Amino acid sequence: MDELYLDNIDEYVNDHNKIVTYKWLSLTLGVHVNTAKQMLYHYLEHKRKESSPQLHATYLVSGKSVDNGQTCHKVSVVREEQLEDFKSKMTLVVSIHVYSVQKALLRDSGPLYSVDYDAVKDNLKNCSRYSSIRCASAVPMSSVELRQAREKEQAPTSVPENKKPAVNGGASVASKPSAKAPKGIMGMLSFKSTSKNQDGSKDIKPEQKEVAPVTDPPKSKPAAKTNPMANFFGSQTKKADRPIKEEQEARTAVVSEQNQSSQQEEEPEPEPAAVQQKDTKTDSRSKTKRIEESDSEEEKMEKKKRRRIKRPEPDSSDEDVIPDSPQPLETKDPSPKKEVEAAQLSHGNSETKVRKRRRVLKSHVFLDDEGCMVTEKGYESESYSETEDDFQPSKQPRDNFKAKLPSSSKENEKKSQKRSSASSQKGTKQASITGFFQKK
Amino acid sequence: MFSDLSAQKEGSSVLCRPAFEDQGPVFERETLCYSLCSERYGVGERSFSRQYAHIYAARLMHMRPLLSERAQQKWGSGVLIKKLCDLETGQECCIVGTLFKRMDLQPSILREISEEHNLLPQPARAKYISDADELILEDELQRIKLEGKIDRDKCVTGSVVAIYGAEKNDGKFTVEDFCMADLPPQTPRPALGSDRFVLLASGLGLGNSHADSMLGLQLLVDMVTGQLGDTGEQSGAATISRVLLAGNLLSHSTQDKDASTKAKYLTKKTQAGSVEAIRLLDELLLQLVASVPVDVMPGQYDPTNYTLPQQPLHRCMFPLSSVYPTLQLASNPYEANIDGVRFLGSSGQNVCDIQRYSTMDSHLEILEETLRLRHLAPTAPDTLGCYPFYQKDPFILEECPHVYFSGSAPAFDSKLIKGPDGQEVLLVTIPEFSSTQTACLVNLSTLQCEPVCFSAFSADEDEESEMNVSH
Repeated sequence: MDELYLDNIDEYVNDHNKIVTYKWLSLTLGVHVNTAKQMLYHYLEHKRKESSPQLHATYLVSGKSVDNGQTCHKVSVVREEQLEDFKSKMTLVVSIHVYSVQKALLRDSGPLYSVDYDAVKDNLKNCSRYSSIRCASAVPMSSVELRQAREKEQAPTSVPENKKPAVNGGASVASKPSAKAPKGIMGMLSFKSTSKNQDGSKDIKPEQKEVAPVTDPPKSKPAAKTNPMANFFGSQTKKADRPIKEEQEARTAVVSEQNQSSQQEEEPEPEPAAVQQKDTKTDSRSKTKRIEESDSEEEKMEKKKRRRIKRPEPDSSDEDVIPDSPQPLETKDPSPKKEVEAAQLSHGNSETKVRKRRRVLKSHVFLDDEGCMVTEKGYESESYSETEDDFQPSKQPRDNFKAKLPSSSKENEKKSQKRSSASSQKGTKQASITGFFQKK
Repeated sequence: MFSDLSAQKEGSSVLCRPAFEDQGPVFERETLCYSLCSERYGVGERSFSRQYAHIYAARLMHMRPLLSERAQQKWGSGVLIKKLCDLETGQECCIVGTLFKRMDLQPSILREISEEHNLLPQPARAKYISDADELILEDELQRIKLEGKIDRDKCVTGSVVAIYGAEKNDGKFTVEDFCMADLPPQTPRPALGSDRFVLLASGLGLGNSHADSMLGLQLLVDMVTGQLGDTGEQSGAATISRVLLAGNLLSHSTQDKDASTKAKYLTKKTQAGSVEAIRLLDELLLQLVASVPVDVMPGQYDPTNYTLPQQPLHRCMFPLSSVYPTLQLASNPYEANIDGVRFLGSSGQNVCDIQRYSTMDSHLEILEETLRLRHLAPTAPDTLGCYPFYQKDPFILEECPHVYFSGSAPAFDSKLIKGPDGQEVLLVTIPEFSSTQTACLVNLSTLQCEPVCFSAFSADEDEESEMNVSH
């Protein structure tokens, strides 16, 4: 009789310091569970004879017990020292066996589970191989059988499945255009911006090494975020020399580096021409901004969500969002007029903007931004006659939003100052564009 | 019961040295003929555009002849059965209708909206009954307030009853007596020669933050699969011919309520708690189905539809265990014929709901009440989520089960009741396993039921005294 297993167990228990449960042993040595239980018993007996110190065991006891007049079959794992006590409480003991042997004294039974869990997990495919119950019908199906069984299963359910699309059809139709439209716009915009970048970058590349890598593709945005100030100063110093090209640079820089609020400080410097270009600039800016934002994954996800959700019924959603504030009335009055004016720009764009803004406030935790929104609306109401003013408010929240990322509030202030100076210089012909932004 | 049987079985002790000649006895799992009868709980065309009124109409239409018959048995064949529209003041008669309990405390979304100015949400309560509740009987056309000998607090909305009494001058109907449809007819149970068991368990609560209960669960699996105990116990376990898991396999904590309120970007990279729990369940089921047929019912917290009838969990969630033909993913409510013994039951939502809207507290009492009402979930469209059926009410019991159970109960309880026509029904409330570590075994041949408790030692027992000192 080979009693090699005694050495094995001894090695597991003493050298590896393992908790050896019957189940773990059975799976490790590949023996029947009952044999494993006997091995553990034998080992324990053997060790006790040797009177080697420090060996703790747990036992499994099952049997009949009566609790509050209710007989029940009780299955328990108990420590060795509780064994006799536990047995005496039972009305009828059905079976006892060694559950585990370990060197340390177990405070609670949690480790017993984790030991078994790991062993079972490694042997999931044949976890019942060493158990003493065979189930004739529990044979894994082959893939062919599985397919057949599933086809059989699906046959009756295929009717509801066919009907499902019809039920959901309304929803999917409604959501489709909204999901696609932004894509189309984005596609257009991305095309525009890249083309702009291309002619802009011709100027920039030889002149400014810092800006050039940034401006190339709008996708390099994240990298640009790291050195906005450097970019700004680099471009600014050179601008003094060549005013005309600077404008283009400024534009491209703005186009590509929307998130850098510092960049916007360039704008006032090339003054007369830049003002005129600002219409187009701001236009392109608003568009490119969205493209850039879409570069960061999270933003993209959110933006898409926003559009999709708000699009189908912009009016009702407006009412839903702010039912108790007076703002909806104010914003709605100007919006139709301005929308007509700004129609050729892209009213779809403006619509999404409206939604986007509110959506941001709603779903983000930026509750303080909501305050900003309110002030913005206030500006708008004044701005019917003065076109620049409503330009400004529409900007500000965005700047705030941006400022959050680099957390530079100073730039905000600067900007607002510059805005106001720029606004005084701007003519009234920008009414259409400002109207477009005002809508936001 | 089970212990006695296991102890009687000839079994060699495992408290001895191993003899390597035999690889241990191998017992054959007793398999039974089995047929799932849950088709009626399938939701074929999922159209949610209909109103719920149809359910009540279908229910009353189906129950009216049954109750008329019952009323004639009870109050004599000459009893005057009237409709509410034909009612004359002072005339003693019998009326069949659906009960409606007007409850001030019943949560109502409409009320919350109309009282928007004080936006305090209505507090969640254990019970929604109050002294101001009124009992109203409705038939197809009319309704009338009830008073008299009918226990307002025990009745729940949606139960169809027959009342006997007369309308008083004040327009209220004074009830002298009332009757319920009582147990439906039952197919006699075949006499089984040997003891066979079905193990019922509920509320495994996987994915719970504290894993104390896991060893208990593993012991349950090991016992059923024939690994635990000596050969006597194992041969006893071989007579467990089926395992029925009655809902709430996943813990309540796997449902993160934050998900809907939290910003998407905050939860983007986090995995739903239910994913890990389902994986755990799959592994657990795999161990079980490799040795015994298992029926899996969904419950309140499981990833399937919320409204009754809950459709079976999808097999794609169980890549490991679903290859076994022994895994049966069933609906909730569940109805099956196991070796001639008819099982019917739910994961417990119906019982818990009645508990909230009546004075009845014991799950067993409520279970019996629903059986007597001949309706699985009388509160269904009112306070319990339910699919808008319109031609039939599948929760009406048409055949009396032999074993009628509900899951996720606070404690194990069972009772054998007899119907007026000799029906014999075993009522079982299956305790939540995660909190009680208890499952139950039903003996198919005798309809006896016995709990099986699992326990393991824990550090708490020792430290309890110390803890008390420190506090």
